[in-house]
Amino acid sequence: MSQAASSPAASKPAALEMRGVTKRFPGVVANDHIDLDVRRGEIHALLGENGAGKTTLMNILYGLVTPDEGEILLGGKTVTIASPADAISQGISMVHQHFMLVPVLTVAENILLGEEPMANAVIMDRKAAHTRIRELGRFFGTEIDPDLRVASLSVGWQQRVEILKALYRNADILVLDEPTAVLTPQETKEIFTVLRRLTAEGTSIIFISHKLYEVLEIADRITVIRRGKVVGSRIPSETDEDDLAELMVGREVQLTVDRGESHPAAVTLSVSGLTVSDDRGHEVVHGLDFEVKAGEVFGIAGVAGNGQDELVEALAGLRRPASGTVQLAGRSITGASPRRLHNLRVGFVPADRHRYGLVLVFPLTDNSVLTSYYRAPYSRGLVRDADAILRHAEQVINDFDVRTPSPLVHASTLSGGNQQKLIVGREFFGDLRLLVLDQPTRGLDVGSIEFIHRQVIAKRDAGTAVLLISAELDEVLELSDRIGVMYRGRLVAVMDGRSATREEVGLLMATGGREGPPPIIAEGAA
Amino acid sequence: MRKHRYALGATFASLAIVLLAACQGNTGSSGSQSGGATSNLKIGLVTDVGTLDDHNFNQYSWEGAKAGAQAVGAAAPHSVVTTQSADYAKNINSFVSKNYNIIVTVGFALGSDTTKAAKANPNIKFIGVDQGICVDANGNPDSTFACKGDAATLLPNYQGLVFKEQQPGYLAGVVAASISKSGHIAAIGGTATVPAVPNYMIGYLNGAKSVKSDIKVELKYVSAAPDAKAFNDPAGGKAAADQLLSQNPDIDVLFQVAGKTGNGVLQSACDHNIHAIGVDVDQWVSTPDTKACTVVSAEKKLTKAVSDAIQRVNDKKDKGGTITLDITTDSVGLSPFHDSQSMITPDIQAKIDAAVKGLKDGTIKACVETPFGSCDNKNGQPPA
Amino acid sequence: MNLRRARDAAIIPALSIVLALVFGSLIMIFSSPLILGLDLTLPLLAYKALVEGAFGSFGAVVSTIVNASPLILAGLAVGVAFKAGLFNIGAQGQFLTGGLAAAAVGVWLAHAPGPVAIPLALVAAILVGSVYGAIPGFLKAYTGAHEVVTTIMLNYIALYIVAYVVTGPLRAVGATFARTPDVGNATLPILVGANGHLGILFAFVAVPLAWWLLYRSTIGFEIRTVGAGPDAARYAGMHPRLLIVVTMAFCGGLAGLAGSGEILGLTGFMPAGYSTNVGFDGITVALLGQAHPIGIMFAGLLLGAMRAGAPLMQIEAGVPSQMVDVLQGAILFFLTAEVLVRYLFRIRAKSAKVAELQTVASSYGGQATPAP
Repeated sequence: MSQAASSPAASKPAALEMRGVTKRFPGVVANDHIDLDVRRGEIHALLGENGAGKTTLMNILYGLVTPDEGEILLGGKTVTIASPADAISQGISMVHQHFMLVPVLTVAENILLGEEPMANAVIMDRKAAHTRIRELGRFFGTEIDPDLRVASLSVGWQQRVEILKALYRNADILVLDEPTAVLTPQETKEIFTVLRRLTAEGTSIIFISHKLYEVLEIADRITVIRRGKVVGSRIPSETDEDDLAELMVGREVQLTVDRGESHPAAVTLSVSGLTVSDDRGHEVVHGLDFEVKAGEVFGIAGVAGNGQDELVEALAGLRRPASGTVQLAGRSITGASPRRLHNLRVGFVPADRHRYGLVLVFPLTDNSVLTSYYRAPYSRGLVRDADAILRHAEQVINDFDVRTPSPLVHASTLSGGNQQKLIVGREFFGDLRLLVLDQPTRGLDVGSIEFIHRQVIAKRDAGTAVLLISAELDEVLELSDRIGVMYRGRLVAVMDGRSATREEVGLLMATGGREGPPPIIAEGAA
Repeated sequence: MRKHRYALGATFASLAIVLLAACQGNTGSSGSQSGGATSNLKIGLVTDVGTLDDHNFNQYSWEGAKAGAQAVGAAAPHSVVTTQSADYAKNINSFVSKNYNIIVTVGFALGSDTTKAAKANPNIKFIGVDQGICVDANGNPDSTFACKGDAATLLPNYQGLVFKEQQPGYLAGVVAASISKSGHIAAIGGTATVPAVPNYMIGYLNGAKSVKSDIKVELKYVSAAPDAKAFNDPAGGKAAADQLLSQNPDIDVLFQVAGKTGNGVLQSACDHNIHAIGVDVDQWVSTPDTKACTVVSAEKKLTKAVSDAIQRVNDKKDKGGTITLDITTDSVGLSPFHDSQSMITPDIQAKIDAAVKGLKDGTIKACVETPFGSCDNKNGQPPA
Repeated sequence: MNLRRARDAAIIPALSIVLALVFGSLIMIFSSPLILGLDLTLPLLAYKALVEGAFGSFGAVVSTIVNASPLILAGLAVGVAFKAGLFNIGAQGQFLTGGLAAAAVGVWLAHAPGPVAIPLALVAAILVGSVYGAIPGFLKAYTGAHEVVTTIMLNYIALYIVAYVVTGPLRAVGATFARTPDVGNATLPILVGANGHLGILFAFVAVPLAWWLLYRSTIGFEIRTVGAGPDAARYAGMHPRLLIVVTMAFCGGLAGLAGSGEILGLTGFMPAGYSTNVGFDGITVALLGQAHPIGIMFAGLLLGAMRAGAPLMQIEAGVPSQMVDVLQGAILFFLTAEVLVRYLFRIRAKSAKVAELQTVASSYGGQATPAP
């Protein structure tokens, strides 16, 4: 292992040092003597699988968790960080993976929350606040109107508001937890520009991600954590994705699935003129036409919020289409109930696994039969057969490598990857005609993604028609035999999966094929 | 950390107080002995649903139990406050299981359970306040209400005390009609479903008519049911009175027959600068906030009635059966006029005296009575 | 495994009870000087009498069970609804209308043979309670009217229905106050002791029944799924709206049954001013029992014991029987202030938050209507 040494940032003084930080939770050592140093003006990437201990480490830094051992030094001096307020006052800011914005408040109000500049004891100095926010906004290249409601902003701009919030608090050290998870490639590029500008001014950034190519692109140095321990440090010029993936997972990982040739057969799913409205009655899917053949993966790429949710809900029987037809192997399933679809051998992996896919307070056994509980052998008449359910759960757990101490623990105790594997195992079970996958690997680590991708290809090769809807461009590119791009409720392009390029699809996702910058205001919100 | 210990410490400290107290031994005793004990009678009282300090039946029966105990030289009585209807029997039986000698039960609603207890425990004396005893030939509560059984012989250990509310109501009507200048008076009752209320109100109506046959009398009930709104809602009572007075601005005397709800009625009368008449107890004393406008109260002398019943037991002169307490024994009547004495001219006093005399000798009937002593009130509404 | 889970589930309720008893002691000590002089032993005297009144004799134990059984049924009526994510504050109204139905049929069949009159009166109570529970369920499922609001309003409506029926069509002719005639042969037979009527069995039959329904039946799984994850339930092909109505009907039936036990077993008739708190106490029972049928049974027995012992506490210690309400309120407070209890005793939260408390909490936030 080569010590990370000769990077340009190496000569700069250390802004933050964490030495021998250890945190034990009952039954697990989350952080095991972790050393981390971040220098001034450096982007330091923290890489690791879900559950590796990144979040705990950052929570310690942010004062949310008290370490059992170890010390934290800021600018060479030992400090105690007992609370987020402590952290902020010492110049540490955190941008969370899940936005901590209040949707009904304006940009300015969100940024000022808790740090209101006061004109006097009672009245807030709105003018001063707005001036400063505009100044900061200029930093991003685009000025933002402080009076816009956060709810009306696109996801990319919400992310920017999060960062603005941190900057407003004069952060010296900025922690970004998976900041690009919800962004398009273009938005990601813009954020990267901002981050570089920040480091040029001396801010240090800890960048948490598991998108390896991004880390390689943006980071000055990379520290990899596995099972609570630092397993290596790298500088981007001296490593590559395979090396990093192996460090993260602890074994060799195949980053791209060997998907082989597909053998599309008859049309299984046929959607024509499908129009769907959202909860407020606004039409958000406009006359969609597409087909998915048995034995192929049709991927729909698109930035979140372009009508995918409503499309999926319409296909899953959770939302009645306003017009249009959906056919399964020639039979109409327009507006069919979830139960009927299930009986017609349609599997469905929902995007929101906590809200739709699982009942978190139920054990894995119950969750493993969530969509088939009513059928024999799991249920006979009114009576559930606990043994049959347990046997089924054990089979899913075994076949789909769900790591759990027991099938009787609550689903909430599993990591995101294992939760998703449980859902996939349940929905992939048996002989399926159609499989609808909505963001099947969102937020998962590379190991789990690899596993799920393999299963998708296996299902495809078994003759199932697979509809994949994903905001992860890489995933769509990697799995799809054909790719459709969804923009503002329409399929703006359908192309061959093997010849499509990142840039081409990314541009279509961001602009729908038209010229001009991506919109600030989210679709339908204004 | 320190805070933690403090909070935990406080918890255990308070626990420790309790435990320490235990170690000191059982020094305190709940009921203190009154001086010069000459009786070993143990007296218990079960209230109706409500509280012991309701300024009404519960409270004045309790005063009566205490007064009776003191009068016979027995230990201070104990009480059990009933919190729900299903608990009557349980509460009575608690005293039975502790070998009490006299059990006072308050309110007509306890009649059935008191009857059963009296039959099951012939050696215990029961005093039922506001309870007309209705038994069949075997001394059980009569489900047909024919009351064929002779309660006095079947249940000699059970005195049921009832009051002729219509008589003080009648007298209140005489006063109201006499002091009214507009010839328009009113009464506000809690609910027509509790017989005492229409009894008072019909008596009031008849008393007023006896003075001035053309007088206008408004009779209003605030609730259809004997609930909190009827008897325990002063704000609601005030609102009802305010409304009545805004619709009929010439009303100048207001009689309340609605327990605590009625206290709001009195308040409204004071606010409107008109005369008010209290009910059940001397409200000039019991609700001093409104004594300025309270001319007089139509009283049931509960305290005296209960105390007398206890003394009868002690003197071994008690007889079972329903005991109707009326104006002949001065168990009902008008309270003193207190500050309003000046309003009562000799002429008015003469009318009152005549009415009292007529009621006592039977030449005046406060209302048409049912066989059980209530005013005839078939439809739940008095004749208006 | 199961024992440990039971222990984990019982620890907060147990500590809440302890804290409530301590709190009750303080109230007694600091309120007594006004009347009796400062007496530090008063709480012990009171609690001793309370225990004696609840368990001190065979009759006392029977009284405890008689008091507990309607509380257990009402607790189930609230607790099962919790499992479906519903806060059934309407057990009170369901109890009253059920009791009224039992009284009406009982009066009607007062002279029919008991084996005919009793089952019919019970069935009437269950049916009417079910309908009365299904109304807010229906309103919730199909119009989005929040069940907390509708059940509270329906409680008042029930009160006035009882008042109307008892003062009107069902009023006993000749009675000196508004009440129904006696239920005659529909009176539940006494099985044990002075007042251990047949109705006490209902609770102890309903507990395993509710347990089986929730944890062994398919519909119970659906009910729990709707409660724990309404969107997941829709995704799984269940019918949340129908399930809400069915669950509320089931709960209403239980509360109605509780009402019938009180009328047919204890009072023997229904007065217009029938006063009860069983339906509201059911909320405390359900929370104390952590919405689990077995827990509810123990919670009901505890509260029943407190109710049974209350008169003796007042007689022996002079502490008003309403102290039981104070204790019950304090228990409820400490239960809902779980964070405080965990803090005081330094107990780490083990699993996900208790779903029923979330139901209580979210009830004040106005949950959205379940989508079709």
